[in-house]
Amino acid sequence: MMQLDYGRARPRGAHRGSAVQRSTRWWAPGFVAPSVLLVAVLLYLPFLWSVITSFTDSDGSQSDWVGLANYGRLFSDPALLTAIRNTLFWVIGTVVLPVGLGLLIAMLTYNIKGGQYFRLPFLLPYALSGTGTAVVWGFVLMNGGAASSFLEALHAPGADSLWLQSSPLNTIVLILASTWQMIGVNVLIFVVGLQAIPTEPLEAATLDGANAWQRFRLVIWPLLRPLTAVAIGLALVAGLKTFDIVWIVTQGGPGRTSETLAVTMYRDSFVAGDYGYGSAVAVLLTLVTGIASVLYLRQQLSPKRGFDVDGGGK
Amino acid sequence: MKAVKSLRYVVLAVLSAIWLAPVYLLIVNAIRPVEEYDGTENWTPPHGFGLFTNIAQAWERADLGPSIGSTVLYSVLGPLIAVVLGAMAGFAITVLRLRHGFAWFIVVFGGTVLPMQMLLVPLFLGYAGGGIYDSQVGLVLIYTTISVPLAALMMRNFFSGISYSLFEAAIMDGASIPRVFGQIYLPMARPALIAVFILQFTFTWNDLLLGLSLSRSDNVRPVMTSLSSLQSAYAGATVPVVLAGALIVSLPTVLVFLLTQRFFTRGLTLSQI
Repeated sequence: MMQLDYGRARPRGAHRGSAVQRSTRWWAPGFVAPSVLLVAVLLYLPFLWSVITSFTDSDGSQSDWVGLANYGRLFSDPALLTAIRNTLFWVIGTVVLPVGLGLLIAMLTYNIKGGQYFRLPFLLPYALSGTGTAVVWGFVLMNGGAASSFLEALHAPGADSLWLQSSPLNTIVLILASTWQMIGVNVLIFVVGLQAIPTEPLEAATLDGANAWQRFRLVIWPLLRPLTAVAIGLALVAGLKTFDIVWIVTQGGPGRTSETLAVTMYRDSFVAGDYGYGSAVAVLLTLVTGIASVLYLRQQLSPKRGFDVDGGGK
Repeated sequence: MKAVKSLRYVVLAVLSAIWLAPVYLLIVNAIRPVEEYDGTENWTPPHGFGLFTNIAQAWERADLGPSIGSTVLYSVLGPLIAVVLGAMAGFAITVLRLRHGFAWFIVVFGGTVLPMQMLLVPLFLGYAGGGIYDSQVGLVLIYTTISVPLAALMMRNFFSGISYSLFEAAIMDGASIPRVFGQIYLPMARPALIAVFILQFTFTWNDLLLGLSLSRSDNVRPVMTSLSSLQSAYAGATVPVVLAGALIVSLPTVLVFLLTQRFFTRGLTLSQI
């Protein structure tokens, strides 16, 4: 929507009935049909099925309608309440840390000699899978592992911490581990944004005697807003859906203390075989994601916004 | 001014060191021979060179060979089909001016909004019922579908930047719609197609959740699932072997990413709504 649709610029009815229109009419539905069909059968249909299953006690082979019983269970389930708290930590952590640090790295490497090489260490982990990241960090955070021996060498406090054994420490260190990986995409987003900023306002601000911080706050930051919005939106959704790293490093443990909603859902469904309840957790996760996205979008689309840096450089 | 500049480099150097430390630990301990590893001296460079033995061990234990073969199939074929389907959808909406095109676009793109967790149980039960659970066909199908919405978004954005008169001229010259699409629009969109493909290739290669839920046997399950099983069998596989496994299955996406960074950036630009 940010790009101009040149075709649409002319009056809509102009081609109606023309040779061009007549020949295209029959083809258009055929060209979207495969996409619509796949998405409908493999995404929307399972989605509806999940909603229905959440009202049953399905164990995979047989199921009875139980009404809202699964939803009633949700709020008396201590494991679920811990999962909600942890998910909240994850959302806050992944919005603040990777986005904030991503912006910092982009700013630091912007307009300096060899900037693209300085960025490389931060982009590298992004290419690594969530699973690879989890394996590396599971190793770093082992009891008496690399993190502990590093602190020990510095005689710093915390060397004898059992990083993954107690809550909420385990969630916090996993958020840091995930920051290590997720920063890359944010650096890329902000570099694209910075490169699209025209030089005139910056030069004007410098001539007016603005210092570096003022230039950032008054010129760069407002111009980056559309991309900040994209970065925060992506981080918000990613934080809510956190699964890979938790599942591999701690399996949500010990004692279900590091579970996120996505992990709880997976465990209840696939480990406990309680599909009805697992589906209710999934519906809850979907609702939370949906509501958060709508609130976020509404706030972003509210009238008072900075001037748009259209789409980034082409 | 000069102090600010050098402060910039100091901050960058410190942060880079922090960011590279785990990479260093990964490489050093993947190289360390199993006999030399005792869990205490993780930071010291290894004396011996056990990388290839460790990789061979990981390869054998997690049966990585067939798993990597299958993953190549999934992460090439799935995104490839998705990119063509997405381009067709974008073409229909922006060039062929499909009636209610925007609504149809929202239908397709809306697929990305649903959390994957929501789909796992029904997909698992549906796949089991349909006889495609734990099959390569089943996985190609779901990886294709998952890639379609973003492909449609990016290709729609790309095609909407192209003048309509090009299309009119082609039709006036008597070209059929499939020809216009296949011989004019698709070749023209090549940079965008590559960008979408690379993003989706990386995504598919790195997927864990779908592989975990929809496959079981060694030759069907994708690599990340194999890696996670190698990790959870920690008692069986020693640390250097697991790390060597992580290194080897991560190499393809890291290489693709480093070699095609500009396509990644282009992909990000094209994926703005």
